Amino acid sequence: MRRISVVFAVAMGLVAADAGAQGAKPKGKPVAGPVAPPFTLTPALQQKLKSADEAQVRAALDDLRLGGKAAQAAAPSVVELLERGTTASLTEAALDTLGDMEAESASEHIAVYTHHRDVAMRRAAVKALIKTKGAAAIKGLRHALSDADPMVRGVAATGLGTLKAKDAVPDLYVALDRKIAEAAAAIGQLCTGADCDQLSAKLGRLPFDVVTGGLDQILFRPTSEITDDDKVKVIGKLRELGTQEANKFLKDVQARWPKGGSARVRQSIDQAVLATAGGAQ
Amino acid sequence: MSRRLPAAVAVALAAMASASAASCGGGTTSINLFSTNWSDDHGVSMENVRARLAGAKPAPGADVVVGVAGNADKIIGLPLGGGPKWTFAHPLDSRPLVAGTVVIGSGGGELFALDAVKGTKLWARPTGGLAAYGAGDDGGVTVISLSGASGRGSVLLAITHDGAVVRQIETDKSLGTPAVVSRLAFVPWSSQYVSAIDLSNGDEVGRVVLREKTSRAWTEGTSLYFGEVGIFRFDGHIKDASRGQATHVQLPVRELPGAPVLMQPGGERLAPIAGATDRIRLFARPSGTEPLTIEDDRFFATYFRIVMGFDAHRGNLSWVHLHDHDVVGGDAAKGSLVLCDELGKISILEAATGAVAGQLDLGEPIKSCTVQVETFAANNGVRGGTLAAQIAKSLESNEAQLATGNRFLLRELATLEDEAATKTLVDLAQSPRAAPPLVADARQALATRRNGARFMVEALQKHYDFLKDELRSPPVGPMAQALAAMKEKGAAPALADHLLDPADTDDDVKQAAAALVVLGGPAQVPQARHFFAMYRATAEGDDMIAALVSAGQVLLKYGGKDGRVIVDYALSDPRTIEAAKERLEVTLQQIELEQGSGGKPDKPEPAKPEPAKPNATKK
Repeated sequence: MRRISVVFAVAMGLVAADAGAQGAKPKGKPVAGPVAPPFTLTPALQQKLKSADEAQVRAALDDLRLGGKAAQAAAPSVVELLERGTTASLTEAALDTLGDMEAESASEHIAVYTHHRDVAMRRAAVKALIKTKGAAAIKGLRHALSDADPMVRGVAATGLGTLKAKDAVPDLYVALDRKIAEAAAAIGQLCTGADCDQLSAKLGRLPFDVVTGGLDQILFRPTSEITDDDKVKVIGKLRELGTQEANKFLKDVQARWPKGGSARVRQSIDQAVLATAGGAQ
Repeated sequence: MSRRLPAAVAVALAAMASASAASCGGGTTSINLFSTNWSDDHGVSMENVRARLAGAKPAPGADVVVGVAGNADKIIGLPLGGGPKWTFAHPLDSRPLVAGTVVIGSGGGELFALDAVKGTKLWARPTGGLAAYGAGDDGGVTVISLSGASGRGSVLLAITHDGAVVRQIETDKSLGTPAVVSRLAFVPWSSQYVSAIDLSNGDEVGRVVLREKTSRAWTEGTSLYFGEVGIFRFDGHIKDASRGQATHVQLPVRELPGAPVLMQPGGERLAPIAGATDRIRLFARPSGTEPLTIEDDRFFATYFRIVMGFDAHRGNLSWVHLHDHDVVGGDAAKGSLVLCDELGKISILEAATGAVAGQLDLGEPIKSCTVQVETFAANNGVRGGTLAAQIAKSLESNEAQLATGNRFLLRELATLEDEAATKTLVDLAQSPRAAPPLVADARQALATRRNGARFMVEALQKHYDFLKDELRSPPVGPMAQALAAMKEKGAAPALADHLLDPADTDDDVKQAAAALVVLGGPAQVPQARHFFAMYRATAEGDDMIAALVSAGQVLLKYGGKDGRVIVDYALSDPRTIEAAKERLEVTLQQIELEQGSGGKPDKPEPAKPEPAKPNATKK
């Protein structure tokens, strides 16, 4: 069985944070957000952000990061820091800070850094965009799917799933065909109807663990998004595969299937597990 | 000067000689032939020879293509003027020679002659293993040069079409390829002499020394020629050859891929299987006119599949034909070039345009071929597009074997004024399949172009795009240089977008930024501002620092007061790269000088960074 890449694993973690249909447990653990202390944007803090002393600026950014979403009011000051330009380490810290502040108003400014020549900056920018959200973030992430760096592409694909960028599904399919494995999970989060069938059809053509990264998402999405019929279809495809790895995956889904989840889908899973037992390697 | 041959060879040749002597009165000659104890007679003897010929014209030869097929044991002949294809099976140890109306072959221990048009065997004689490498024919007698038995020296045989040996001369000198006119053999030797030998008695009746390497004599049309590097005509001026005043023509000296030559040395045996020197060759034909020129003002060069036609006066490339397979032989005809390829296809290209004027087929793949064209004239063909388009077709082949030829063609392309040449260069410079040296050449050439801006602007719209499988960025740097030189303002938006393309090289970004200083406007300020912010404190390397300075200049030139504020802030911030600061300071000084004392605009107060506090702590 192929190993899932580190990026893919990270992606799964990010995706899981937004999943949870019917009390379901998709793979990966939810990311618990830090408990933000009360935050006040003081003139002193603003002054520190404008300081010529790198340490002062860094300290101010650290304060803002700790403030998290509560420090959003300071986002324009951090954006100003980026707009004026600064050292590489402060730029990266500023991007991270804006991400932690979840300042949607900063997305447009962060997106500019997905064009930076330093790949570390681009990676920081796409990660920040996933947190700041909004149309500008989605636009930036879709653009980043075409980046030369595999990690930037992977995080961008994951981010599009996280941000529920349904319009990006066609791009994500292209990305999947171009071996951006993280696109599968994103598609699993976003697809509907025929889009989901297209992902199931990749079984046997793309690495099993890549495709099931997306199918897992489909199975655990709420019925309001994916009908039981569609989920049964996915299980049927896995059952048709009849391999040991299909059986292993189905067993895993069976174990995680929520008690209050669809009985019909549960029955389909049970039958598929039995049918694929002793399947081909 | 004669010498002894090994016993076996001597016996074989003696058998030939005695058989013919009995019937034709021929015999072995051992006179003071090919002696180097000869004083230049200033053309007197050769002038006598010319007088003796009294205007006798060489007999016309056959128009024929002769190929070697099978395992170098089969000869295929195809008359160009019609007539059926013929084949003749015989082992070959050298490439068949076509002389006049006969084909001479050697192999399997014998020398043989075939009728060039019909393929019928005229005669065969044992040789003791000597290989034939040169032949001339006057319609009645064929004179053949054979390699010496010990590997040194040569044997010259004169045999009538019915197989009678007229003359046999053995010498320790290296003889070239002979010609025959009215039973007088013209034999080049030692790369500088041509001796005229009376075949009736073996006497050397004339000699001329030529001031250029000469190893071949041949007849073409109604004239007799000598040469190897260039072409000398046997005419009223031949007597002045030693003074360098013989009638002479040569191809213009110019760089060509693979350094092809017009003629292989006439004293070397050609293998029955074609090699690189057969695939990389020059072809030209003397005009036979007064003054002597190159026929059709064209010479031709082959480089594997690439065939090129050149202006014979200046050497300019006139056309290019990309053949389907490697060309292994050919001959220049009047108005055309006849070529044969390794699949046995014969192509007739129009000399003026390179258009395919006709095609024939030997019927099977061949190992080598020899073409002789005397009177054959081709029909007109249809030219295959402009020269730029022809070159583009060759460049698109992307074959490793053609790389040197294509680099040559690319240099030629760069000299063309045609806009299509610019487009080809643009396409090549961003083709993922093109060889890296070709891409580098194309980029270099693009920077010097002064037309085809629309193709460049169109190419600049492209960016690296992993999803779209666009994995090679366009040649931004060279195009930026060219567009700036052409003052193509319409390129500014696309150039500005490339400032923020991380897949472009540092040099590309540098050139794009520099071009924007010339071509940009207020619309390009946002990209310049982003670029300036991103790199004013992080730029590394000369190219990026130069790009940073250019972006600052764009801000100063087109960014109004806001642009000036940004630059002033950067100049006051210690985090800004020092090298960039210095150059921007100079730019500012120049701007202020240009504006003069009276015209100095309001200088906005920059938002200076707060000074560092001594006890600043990091949380």
